[in-house]
Amino acid sequence: MSAIHLQNLVKKFGDFTALKTMDLAIADGEFMALLGPSGCGKSTTMNMIAGMEEPTSGKILFGERDMAGVPMGRRGVGFVFQNYAIFTHVTVRQNLAYGPKMRGAAKTEIDRRVGAIAEMLQLTPLLDRKADRLSVNILQRVAIGRSAIMEPAIFLLDEPLSNVDAAFRAVMRTELKQLQRQFRQTMVYVTHDQLEAMTMADRIAVMDHGVLQQVGTPLEVYNDPANVFVARFIGAPGMNLLRGRPAESDRGLVIDLGPLGVTPPLPAEIAAAVRRGRDDVFYGFRPEQATLVEGGRGLSLPITFVERIGARTIVHLGQGESAVKAVFDNDVGLAIGQTAVVAPAAQSVRVFDAATGLAMKAD
Amino acid sequence: MSAVTATISEEAMNAARAKPVLADEGARLGFRLTLPAQILVLFIAVFPLLMQLYISLTDWSPLSGLGWWNAWSLWNNFANYTDLAADARFWSALKRTAIVMIVCVPAEFLLGLALATLFADEFPGKRIFYSILLTPMMVVPAVAGYMFFMLFQSGGPVNDLLSAISGMPVTIAWLSDPTLALIAVMVADIWQWTPLMFLILLAGLVGVPEDQIKAATLLGANPWQRFVTIVLPKMKTIIIIALAIRVIENFKIFDTLYIMTGGGPGVATETISVYIYKLTTQDLIWGYVAAIALATLIVLSIAAVFAMKRMAREVPA
Repeated sequence: MSAIHLQNLVKKFGDFTALKTMDLAIADGEFMALLGPSGCGKSTTMNMIAGMEEPTSGKILFGERDMAGVPMGRRGVGFVFQNYAIFTHVTVRQNLAYGPKMRGAAKTEIDRRVGAIAEMLQLTPLLDRKADRLSVNILQRVAIGRSAIMEPAIFLLDEPLSNVDAAFRAVMRTELKQLQRQFRQTMVYVTHDQLEAMTMADRIAVMDHGVLQQVGTPLEVYNDPANVFVARFIGAPGMNLLRGRPAESDRGLVIDLGPLGVTPPLPAEIAAAVRRGRDDVFYGFRPEQATLVEGGRGLSLPITFVERIGARTIVHLGQGESAVKAVFDNDVGLAIGQTAVVAPAAQSVRVFDAATGLAMKAD
Repeated sequence: MSAVTATISEEAMNAARAKPVLADEGARLGFRLTLPAQILVLFIAVFPLLMQLYISLTDWSPLSGLGWWNAWSLWNNFANYTDLAADARFWSALKRTAIVMIVCVPAEFLLGLALATLFADEFPGKRIFYSILLTPMMVVPAVAGYMFFMLFQSGGPVNDLLSAISGMPVTIAWLSDPTLALIAVMVADIWQWTPLMFLILLAGLVGVPEDQIKAATLLGANPWQRFVTIVLPKMKTIIIIALAIRVIENFKIFDTLYIMTGGGPGVATETISVYIYKLTTQDLIWGYVAAIALATLIVLSIAAVFAMKRMAREVPA
């Protein structure tokens, strides 16, 4: 087992900077998800941890050990590729035995270890099947088993579920999480799917444009996004963000949203932070935290679209700068063209500095 | 109820009757459409083969004054085949052809594979070297033969080069020495056909999935282990195809060789093709030539069938 420390990590490909700077500490035995849109630098980070790419500058430490110059075959990392990269010309058994065999383990030793790992992953009946015609969940288990047999301190997974259809992904997620509990290894999981990151990871590192945006538990990044990018990226749909200016009122600090009116007073600790900051802000709240209010105070907006997605209904309100989404129960009686008044729950309100994008909160 | 059933069954029977008629019509149309092609195949492949078999059982030759269809009057009770079995020149030509193949094809394969491995990675000037490497394949074999004929003259560039290296004047008569002439001929063949091997093997090499090579590296395999356990098995099919092409082609080695040595000195570089050519143009014993050609064809066909079967097993459906 091993912790991973990334220190001032930078990666450039010619003129293109894939990773601007990265500092991240992954604890021993932790399941860390690197989450972000395509091109955010998450795969580059992963490849550098595996040793497939050399960092332009910065350090990678496994525990106390500096990995600079250590070739990928000697780093003791298990790697599960996006397409699993199973050796299709041999059997499942030969796939599992590959690592120990290449390192010159004795035949009895190889047999014992292959038997044990196959038992653990329920691959025993499939051991002598050729690996070119296996279903995708078996492929995933073979890929994990082939790496796990080497007892790596660190497991790296590169979007292993992206080729799987949605229904099956849920099954695989559960299976993967259970495997991680069994192996208790440090796992780094690259994905662009927030649902995968949220459901499996102990902590999530959200990345964008080669910059680490926020590191935190799934609930932390959901509840308290560090900046506007994380607020929009996490959650489906993402956080509502409305531009406005703070204004004092007799009931406390409020945000003047222009044509949308004035918000209810901000909670005291946020108000304190906003008073200290600039006067151009984003007023943010989660679509799930909005409630319909009849005749009360709130944002009065025309309904532009109603998405009924089964368990819930997503209502789109307003347009352009003042577009807001709200999530209600599936049987909510709203239709396009009506006007609805929605109000965010007070404790769910977040305010961001419009210039820097950073969350404004009490220190 | 029964009336309805009757109606349905009648319809069904009509349908059942109609179907074979249609299928039959289709088959007949297909037959008519392919008939010209089938006749053509009959004339260019089957007919000459049967004619060859017929002539090989006689002493017929164009000098006999008979049309080939009258060759039966020269029937010789399989004498051509019994002669063939006892023909030392034939057997030594066959042996020589086999030696050339056993040396040339593996040499071309190993050189081609080494070059392909080199060219699978990037290096400066790759495109230029690539073009240069492919030119021998495009040289007309007769021209290549003439080129090597010049190179291997006793006062030619090969000896000049050897002189320069050794510091002593070298005047080896390459093409007049039985062993050296065979070596010179093989060098020419390797020069001309390594590029084809290289090209085919490079196509196979770049087709090996990179992820699997990376996976093997991460599991601790060194470059040689990766080559043996991943790259070679993945290239198996293409290797068999490349070897099959070269084995068949090499067996028929003629043009380059004939221009360089004419099969000589004596019969020192006489291969099956050269022997057949001489029998046809100099000895004019066509019945015997037909027998040799047929025997050679059978040997090659058996080898080809084995190779194809092997390929069919390897190539996934």
